[in-house]
Amino acid sequence: MIEVRDVSRVYQRGVDLVHALEHVTLHIPAGRFVALMGPSGSGKSTLLNLLAGLDRPDTGEVVVAGQPLSRLDEDGLAAWRARHVGLVFQFYNLLPVLSAVENVELPLLLTTLARAERRRRAEIALAAVGLADRARHRPQQLSGGEQQRVAIARAIVTDPDLLVADEPTGDLDARSAVEVLTLLRELNRAFDKTVVMVTHDPRAERFVDEVMRLDKGVLVDGGRP
Amino acid sequence: MTYPRLVARNLLRHPLRTVLTTTSIALSIFLVCAVLTLPGALDAILAHWSSDVRITVHHKAGLTYWLPYAFLAKLRNLPHVAAVNHYSWFGGIYDEPKNMFPNFAVDPETVAQMWPDYGIDPGALERFRKVRNAALVGEQTMSKFGWRIGQEITLKGTVFPVDLTFQIVGVIPAASGNPVVLWFNYRYLSEAMEPRFGTALAGPTGVVGMIWLRADSPAHVGEIMRTVDELFRNSEAEVAAETEKSFIQSFTSTFEGLIHVILAVGFLVVLAVVLIAANTSAMGVRERLPEIAVLKSLGFRRRPILAVLLAESTLQGLVGGLLGAGAAWIILGALNRAGKTAGGAFLGPLGSFHMSPTVAAEGVAVALAVGLVAGAVPAWNGARLNVVEALRRLF
Repeated sequence: MIEVRDVSRVYQRGVDLVHALEHVTLHIPAGRFVALMGPSGSGKSTLLNLLAGLDRPDTGEVVVAGQPLSRLDEDGLAAWRARHVGLVFQFYNLLPVLSAVENVELPLLLTTLARAERRRRAEIALAAVGLADRARHRPQQLSGGEQQRVAIARAIVTDPDLLVADEPTGDLDARSAVEVLTLLRELNRAFDKTVVMVTHDPRAERFVDEVMRLDKGVLVDGGRP
Repeated sequence: MTYPRLVARNLLRHPLRTVLTTTSIALSIFLVCAVLTLPGALDAILAHWSSDVRITVHHKAGLTYWLPYAFLAKLRNLPHVAAVNHYSWFGGIYDEPKNMFPNFAVDPETVAQMWPDYGIDPGALERFRKVRNAALVGEQTMSKFGWRIGQEITLKGTVFPVDLTFQIVGVIPAASGNPVVLWFNYRYLSEAMEPRFGTALAGPTGVVGMIWLRADSPAHVGEIMRTVDELFRNSEAEVAAETEKSFIQSFTSTFEGLIHVILAVGFLVVLAVVLIAANTSAMGVRERLPEIAVLKSLGFRRRPILAVLLAESTLQGLVGGLLGAGAAWIILGALNRAGKTAGGAFLGPLGSFHMSPTVAAEGVAVALAVGLVAGAVPAWNGARLNVVEALRRLF
């Protein structure tokens, strides 16, 4: 499913060069639930951005579902993300002016589906995360855990091959965090979705198939083919 | 969820800000429409008060110089001249100096032929011819002073040192004629002045202020003017003949420079509103950078993001334009209608504003351009946001 081959990524931060990733190679089979863990600045989010097609490596290659991402231009990557990747962020990042169901429906605007079908699928996705009865609520009327579940519904509504989550429990209380992790696990198992999650949360280890650890831009544990 | 709905929701995100920005655009477009109407208003005044067959003949040296009364007889005999009349400025004041208004001594015998387009009641014209001290008064002046038909009024002369009492016998309708003028019989003035001058103004040695000619056809106007100029060349009073429109324009041309200044001010107002709207738009985009980053991460490309952001500012411009142009249409239209009524004198030139559909369309087009220009740079910056940089910086 995911092949990362000898990938390095360097950022310019002011006058300094930051080596975010150095010669990282890993393999994630389809249908796996993987946690990327490591201290701050270890390159977890950089790796996640590369897997999600948000960023490009300076060297090396990232192949997801058989698609070498480096061969896609910016618009090609955007189209690829819309079709193949679902993203979940730490701070949910729902549009405050839209209701829950409208937020979930948002990625479907990029498809050719009819309006009624878009709404139907959004409602199904909301039901899948247990929020069918909160469809008309605005984000500010929902709890943090509920907002994150709406964000997960938004991530799965296009039926992507890959779900990537950046610290999905980072802004949640313990109970909500467990609910979100459980939900991701269920989606992984029930729909055979590949899930890659960056987290600092030690509770996550119980829910995932594999933990990959990074330190100073180097993969120190897991990810071996 | 549709793109138009997304645009609408974004616009309603900060209702007060949207209302204030839209109102500022609407007000500026109202002003633009009013300003764009000014040249048209002048043309309307000219069209309203001028005929294509009336010619004025005045002293070449200027309007303050008199013409010999004897010229009238010579002009009556010219080919293609259908009627001759004359104007003499009396400069009469009603009650107090601030009540000065245009009042002229004319020949009552040819008023009907000279100004048939004024729509004066035939009965009033008949009384004007028969009553020695009769006066015809513009509808707005009647209203301004609260006069009524049959009333006697006295004007204190400033050009001629005599007070004259007139009997108002009719009204010059505001809708079709000169609404402010007062006309009275030149012979009445002549008789009043004869003891002082020792000669009749309306006689072989008398004078008149200026002369009106009416051509039998617009096609003969040019020929008549050339003939008149030639007729009195090297005479005791050389004359200048010009069309009524040109004559009135010589007064209104004073305002053309002012109109250019007003147009420039209108342009600056629009520019200021563009900058205000652009600032508001930039503020709105800046606040939504996290959302734009999220949209891009979801797979939205530059084009739909650019389109949504531009649609917001353009729609705001359109709504502001429609409101501003609509308000201008209603208010200027009401002023125009009021200006044509008897009580519309207090409106002055405002009552001459007539907003055409073209001006309304131009106002809306300017508003659309304001929205488009104001939103262009912020929308472009938002659309080309680097998603990774933004996510790293913002979250």
